[in-house]
Amino acid sequence: MGVWAWRIGILLVFLAAWEYLTGLKAISKTPGLYWIDPFFISRPSAIAQRFLFLMSDQVRLPLWRMALSTVQSTLWGFLVGITTGFVAGLLLGRSDRIARVFDPFIVAFNSLPRIALVPLITMIFGFGLLAKIVLAWSIVFFIVFFNTFQGARSVDADLISSARFLGAGERQILRTVIVPSALAWTFASLTPSISFALIGVVVGEFIGGESGGGLGYLIIQSLGTLNAADMMVALVVLGLIGIVMALGIRQIEVRLLRWRPEYQKR
Amino acid sequence: MSRVRIAIRDLTKTFRQGPREVPAVSSVSFDVHDGEFVAIVGPSGCGKSTILNMIGSLVEATAGEILVDGARVSARPAPQIGYVFQKDTVFPWRTVERNIALGLEYRGVGRSEIDARVREAVKLAGLEGFEEAFPATLSGGMRQRVALMRSLVVNPEILLMDEPFGALDTHTKLNLHAELLGLWAQRHQTVVFVTHDLSEAITLADRIVVMTRRPGRIKLVYDVKLPRPRDVIGLRESAEYLKEYGEIWHALGEEFQERAS
Repeated sequence: MGVWAWRIGILLVFLAAWEYLTGLKAISKTPGLYWIDPFFISRPSAIAQRFLFLMSDQVRLPLWRMALSTVQSTLWGFLVGITTGFVAGLLLGRSDRIARVFDPFIVAFNSLPRIALVPLITMIFGFGLLAKIVLAWSIVFFIVFFNTFQGARSVDADLISSARFLGAGERQILRTVIVPSALAWTFASLTPSISFALIGVVVGEFIGGESGGGLGYLIIQSLGTLNAADMMVALVVLGLIGIVMALGIRQIEVRLLRWRPEYQKR
Repeated sequence: MSRVRIAIRDLTKTFRQGPREVPAVSSVSFDVHDGEFVAIVGPSGCGKSTILNMIGSLVEATAGEILVDGARVSARPAPQIGYVFQKDTVFPWRTVERNIALGLEYRGVGRSEIDARVREAVKLAGLEGFEEAFPATLSGGMRQRVALMRSLVVNPEILLMDEPFGALDTHTKLNLHAELLGLWAQRHQTVVFVTHDLSEAITLADRIVVMTRRPGRIKLVYDVKLPRPRDVIGLRESAEYLKEYGEIWHALGEEFQERAS
């Protein structure tokens, strides 16, 4: 528990310093001149106030609904991304020919910065939930795809032979050897995938406008009104969402990969 | 003499390495009879594992033929053959009992029968208490026990073993020799056992095929006359063991010397 005491201590000192330093005025009588200007980075007290206000019903789009929208699109993009990425990775990983044919297309598409696709995806899928999901998917898909592809290519040939000696047919080999070995690689890519899904969604929300909602929208809106406190609220909530999701996925990963030496309970 | 299970005739294997052709096995012929335990020994690179892999359809022969129960080996291994690899081929994502159950699952054996036969195999291998353990938590010796039981639980009539105990320490190895001999005494499977360890071959086998260095030819076929059942530890102190060891060692030694010169 000593670790937790330290963590909380550091957080409290940080918040107190932030609050104190942004209250110091450079020239005491002149309003508006600060050593560290809260206009840019706001103050913990102001952020807390805005948080409560944004959560309340006094705003048209309350904070919790924006957070929900972000979480929802992230999870959808994540789920669709890992499923399609896994299937594609397995398919290409097991067929040399298909892998060779598709290789340049995949490399080209993957090296394209995903953010450059945002306007196009918005044009096609509109400003709503769907565009954000597609964006998250386009990132997650490739992470999972490359991992699964690698996994499917590196299936131990001796495991396949030993299954064959035990009487396995080709379908049984696929089910009991190839899919489990590839899945091990897929599962290992879940934690980075959820983080990248969140990135994709927020980027989508930046230009998605109000109909897309979400915390990315709150950030852009705060930029328009030069409201640092609202922006900080959005960042804090995003951070919390990121932590909770990463921890949740980590739990699932540990459970699914509990047979691996590095996940064994010590 | 009992019937021939594996007949090997003028078996030759040449590997292509770029433009070069590397001969691995050169016109090898021998028979393995029903219920016989045959060991193949030879210096490393003599093609002994290649012979085993050709019997098991893992490698295609360049020339010659292999008949298993009178039928030429094809692309798929004959169903009566079981194979134990040197490498750890236990599936890491399956528990001990689910590994042992694999062959029965593949054959569509019913749930309750699988459970009964796996339980029996676990007991035979002394793996009680580890049924639910994942291979990563087991020692190398225990994993190889799981691999052995996984092959034996489907009752193969012919068992091919490719240096299955090669990676284990002497103590574990001796224990597994005793266990293997005990299991073999019950069912008398036809076994072809590849090893570079001469004492292992003498301890286990009825007959030893000694190979020359590459390209592998048969140097001599030696009948081990040690009585059974054999005591794997006491055996090594007996005069007969030492005499047989000396005779084969002499032949093997010539192969090592030729390499050195």
